[in-house]
Amino acid sequence: MDSGYDDSLPGECLRKPDWKQLKLYGVGDPVAMFSSDSSCLSSRGRVSKWFWDSAEEGYRTYHMDEYDEDKNPSGIINLGTSENKLCFDLLSRRLTQNDMLHVEPSLLQYPDWRGHLFLREEVAKFLSFYCKSPAPLKPENVVVLNGCASLFSALATVLCEAGEALLIPTPYYGAITQHVYLYGNVRLAYVYLESEGVKVKGLILINPQNPLGDIYSPEELQEFLGFAMRHQLHVIMDEVYMLSVFEESLGYRSVLSLERLPDPQRTHVMWATSKDFGMSGLRFGILYTENQHVATAVASLCRYHGLSGLVQHQMAQLLRDHDWISQVYLPENHARLKAAHTYVSEELRALGIPFVSRGAGFFIWVDLRKFLPRGTFEEEGLLWRQFLDNKVLLSCGKTFECKEPGWFRVVFSDKENRLRLGMQRVRQVLERQPQVVEEASPCHTQEPSTQPI
Amino acid sequence: MELKEEGCPIGSSLSDSGTIVAVTEDECRLEGQGAEKSSTKKVFQTLQRKVLELQRVLMDHFFRMTSQRVQSLSPEDQQRPQGSWKWIKRMGFLMSRMANLIWAEATKELKFKEPLPRSDPRCDIKAGQQALSSWQPDQPGPRLGGFEAVFVSHVLSRRGTGICDLYRANFQSYEAYQRDKYHKEKNPMGYINLGTSENKLCLDLIKERLSQRDMNQIEEDLLQYSDWQGQPFLRKELASFLTCYCRAPTPLDPEKVVVLNGCSSVFSSLAMVLCDPGDAFLIPTPCYSGFAFSSCLYSKVELIPVHLESQPLSIAHVLQADSSFSQLTMDILELTLTQAKMKEKKVKGLVLVNPQNPLGEVYTRSMMKEYLAFAKKHNLHVIVDEIYMLSVFDASVTFHSVLNIKHLPDPNKTHMIWGTSKDFGISGFRFGVLYTHNKEVASAMRAFGYLHGVSGITQFKLCQLLQDREWIDQLYLPTNHSRLRKAYLYVAKRLEKLKVPFFNGGSGLYVWIDLRAYLSPCTFDQEQILCQCFQDNKLLLSRGRAYMCKEPGWFRLIFAGDQLQVKVALDRFCQVLKEHKKDPRLKQLEPAIAT
Repeated sequence: MDSGYDDSLPGECLRKPDWKQLKLYGVGDPVAMFSSDSSCLSSRGRVSKWFWDSAEEGYRTYHMDEYDEDKNPSGIINLGTSENKLCFDLLSRRLTQNDMLHVEPSLLQYPDWRGHLFLREEVAKFLSFYCKSPAPLKPENVVVLNGCASLFSALATVLCEAGEALLIPTPYYGAITQHVYLYGNVRLAYVYLESEGVKVKGLILINPQNPLGDIYSPEELQEFLGFAMRHQLHVIMDEVYMLSVFEESLGYRSVLSLERLPDPQRTHVMWATSKDFGMSGLRFGILYTENQHVATAVASLCRYHGLSGLVQHQMAQLLRDHDWISQVYLPENHARLKAAHTYVSEELRALGIPFVSRGAGFFIWVDLRKFLPRGTFEEEGLLWRQFLDNKVLLSCGKTFECKEPGWFRVVFSDKENRLRLGMQRVRQVLERQPQVVEEASPCHTQEPSTQPI
Repeated sequence: MELKEEGCPIGSSLSDSGTIVAVTEDECRLEGQGAEKSSTKKVFQTLQRKVLELQRVLMDHFFRMTSQRVQSLSPEDQQRPQGSWKWIKRMGFLMSRMANLIWAEATKELKFKEPLPRSDPRCDIKAGQQALSSWQPDQPGPRLGGFEAVFVSHVLSRRGTGICDLYRANFQSYEAYQRDKYHKEKNPMGYINLGTSENKLCLDLIKERLSQRDMNQIEEDLLQYSDWQGQPFLRKELASFLTCYCRAPTPLDPEKVVVLNGCSSVFSSLAMVLCDPGDAFLIPTPCYSGFAFSSCLYSKVELIPVHLESQPLSIAHVLQADSSFSQLTMDILELTLTQAKMKEKKVKGLVLVNPQNPLGEVYTRSMMKEYLAFAKKHNLHVIVDEIYMLSVFDASVTFHSVLNIKHLPDPNKTHMIWGTSKDFGISGFRFGVLYTHNKEVASAMRAFGYLHGVSGITQFKLCQLLQDREWIDQLYLPTNHSRLRKAYLYVAKRLEKLKVPFFNGGSGLYVWIDLRAYLSPCTFDQEQILCQCFQDNKLLLSRGRAYMCKEPGWFRLIFAGDQLQVKVALDRFCQVLKEHKKDPRLKQLEPAIAT
């Protein structure tokens, strides 16, 4: 990689002096920064370490000092990591039922690397039903991996050459940068299709969107897919929040429900249980693609991204249980999400803070621009740190490659007591802040200035 | 269409020392031209070139036509190009089959082995394949015809296509086995797999243990994102487990433990953080084939073989059904390193597998210390893979873990890998662990935890399993060892009866067998043919070539399979050898006749 990328990157990236080198060209060449290091790591090893040390700073601090009602009441409350902690009671009850405790030799031995057939069959049925696909989906189009991170990595590796790019609307879930870079050496391009020498191979769409909680209408989807087809781009549809749409009226439509895809051979759908079933620690993700070449290529990497046969069995049992999912889990989960969402949005309104949230996902995109006197990313970072010092972890806009400083993501899918304490800590920090001009629009439907596409 | 690239590396070949050498397209052509000695060769070459040329022209034409049509189509008409696409693909495929056939005939008839002259890099899927799988370039397989390859590479990136082919070349027979497994009643004609190293002797014990109540607990943090280095409770347990079973002089530190989903992932990530693309590791060979696969799939690290020599084939050792390999000595290590340095290889480390796979040998403590000292002297990392450490079934053999050594010459560059796949026969668990004294390495590895994470539920079960020392010591290990011994003795007896020399140093799940006597001439091509004969008889074995063995004729056979299956497999094995010995020349001709 060379520094030739400097000129080719969209302008907004250049306004981030401290992160420029790494966050983006990291994706090109952070090596220079570490070359003086006398360590025994390879240069790419140093990049991995850098990813770990910096990008995960808040998360690590949190893990060293986790809040616990009894044991560590002054520990950190995590409103930064997008996890659904509302339905553990339901899940643990379901996962400890007798059908889950099944052990047979084939589950203990090397599997079909695409995933056990029984699981792929269940996934196909599950997706056909819950995505309302016009025709039944096929098990041979399913590949099972240990989570969506691996899937991003694998797709980037098999679809792109090193140094090529995938297009992504910002703000977006920032960890993808790391996923596609570590093995794949693939960059993310934020806005432009072809930016001087960087070849764009595909488009990543997250629906429902993270962090905006937005939903694409079928018309919008068709438009994006048509755009991708015209430019011969792959579309990676990340629908990891598809069952976490708690406002029924939104009418969410999966890409798999569309009657006709413009370019089915270049449309790849990913889903996982991390969000919709609140089991991020389970490491289970799937790819659905009609393109057998892509499926086979991803499966070729599955030796390195496999998950235990016993867990595969449990997942098949879980996904098969439509009664439980439709009658017990989903209604309860949505009700709890809605209640938590209502609580946090009311808190924010009371604080006079504008925010964006449309009834899907686990988060609210909060506009704290008025607390940054000069409106810089340094100030955003400082504010973030103040939250952390006050023992509440949030995600700042920069990690989502948001164009302008001052946006934060607040995760609300947590238990009431933690949520209350977390919001209280947020309030304490904000009350200490000098405010700039009071903008008279504390309206929750405000559009962020960074529009997807 | 951006596919045309001049002078890019399109192929590679195995040089004498077994290292990978890239060959450029132009070189191929030059070599091809230089070898045109007889006029017959010339005719074939010209003919082939013409066919390839024709193929290219057709392809260009179709491409232009189809892309024009696709662009001008209204959305309603989108089904149609799908149909014609298929048709075009089929035609292209047939064309390239033709070209390949002509070439195959030419090489067979005229016994010349120049690389294929290629008119268009687009046709060149095989090049990618060879570049990646160059340790076994003679592996046949349903390779894609040139034309189909174009379509694949149109969707996939070049490396994606390469990965696909590499996988296909390595796991084609494994997938055939997955589709058609032997079953006593339901599928008595199915494949028996004595190629994949799995211990199936103690499934009853494991199944019973894993079905106990304590395994089915779920706590909140098991379902949530955790420490990417591994759940703290599991790392703590692993530190204490390894301290105990590796007899570490001082308690091991959970902070130096990294948990990932399998030892391949551990090795791959470790190679990522220790090496840059093109760097190299020394590895004594024959060695486990997975290293070659792992090192070129993601990390692009070159493996430089340190060849261990076998005894020359003699009547005496055929009669005794006994065989042996030279030991790994300082001399051979120094020599290989010097040679590698002369070729300007950047050697970053030494990979040792202890107990050895496929030889089943255990390094003595003093040998291990010597290797470590050698590595320190040359500033090399040492990766010691001890995945078979609890599978030493010969009571007279004592295993010494590298973690048992009190004063490591270079602790910061010594890394140990272990997993439960072999020792506990649970390869389906997808779990591997790295113990490194180097915290920087541990922390760089964590970034890969994202991509190689293990389910919290699995981590919990592993922890429960590993902390049940009473069950492990009193029940599992003694039973496992006695069953391994019994299974080994059975296979040994059958091989002795067949007068097939074999080798096993008292550990592991396999014997390394010497079938050099069944190859005439003793070439890797013949080895491949023999391997195919086994496969035709629904028996999977691993062949020496995949283990970077220096000389043809060696196979690895797993004895730790289901008792009945091993018996049936050995019957099939006998059958193949009988036929093979009867008339090797006739056999040799069969594939030619079949095509």
